[in-house]
Amino acid sequence: MERWHYALVLAACVAVTLPLELGLGARVYRRPWLVVRTLLPVIVVFVAWDLVAYARGVWWFDDGHILGPSLFGLPAEEWLFFVVVPLCVLLTYEAVGNVLRYGWNGAARRAPALRPTARAEVSHG
Amino acid sequence: MGEYTVLALAAPVAVIALELLVLRTGLLRQVRYWITIAIVFAFMVPVDGWLTKPEGTVVHYDPAAKSGIRAPWNIPVEDFGFGFAMITMTLLMWLWWQRRDHHAGPPPPRRRAPRTTRTAHEGDSSEMSHA
Repeated sequence: MERWHYALVLAACVAVTLPLELGLGARVYRRPWLVVRTLLPVIVVFVAWDLVAYARGVWWFDDGHILGPSLFGLPAEEWLFFVVVPLCVLLTYEAVGNVLRYGWNGAARRAPALRPTARAEVSHG
Repeated sequence: MGEYTVLALAAPVAVIALELLVLRTGLLRQVRYWITIAIVFAFMVPVDGWLTKPEGTVVHYDPAAKSGIRAPWNIPVEDFGFGFAMITMTLLMWLWWQRRDHHAGPPPPRRRAPRTTRTAHEGDSSEMSHA
């Protein structure tokens, strides 16, 4: 179980933020192309920082607390970190926006059956 | 003061400059942005605290590369600079792409056609009532 320390905390992040998509209408996972375009530049910049820092010995990862697979010295968990954390940020931002705009109940009511075009129509109107 | 300290201070400045000088999404003026920062930082403490806990550390840091200030618990303060920059850049890209999609514009609205037809009908009916 020791080796799952990093992986489990990432899984917890995904699990904790999932209700924001399902219950507060965040609509992040439902816009995959927007997510991909948003994450790519973030990943390029911050993975570059991570790679340089790792190469220069600024930080390193404890072999006893990661699963093992790695790429360019960064463990698989560290690569996933740069997908999971921005997703959590986007889910939080969208959920906060919905709650501020529609209230808790309104955000919850918008959650399940919102059509993809509904928001575009609102912003055009 | 090490290289991580310097970069952790420079990165937020660079991202803010990116917004103010280039992207101009208006993110920094949004209340929901600052609420998001507060919430994400609140969750970052247990997550980062877990990764840097003294017993069973997942990520080790070179003491020479950072200030040595660890708060709360064992988290290097520099991580909050890294976090702020990453959170902010993510949201900037999110807004920037949406604005770009919006400006590219949807295809010409289809509802214009029925409206014209209805106007024509109204014209027809008024002509009919005159007749």
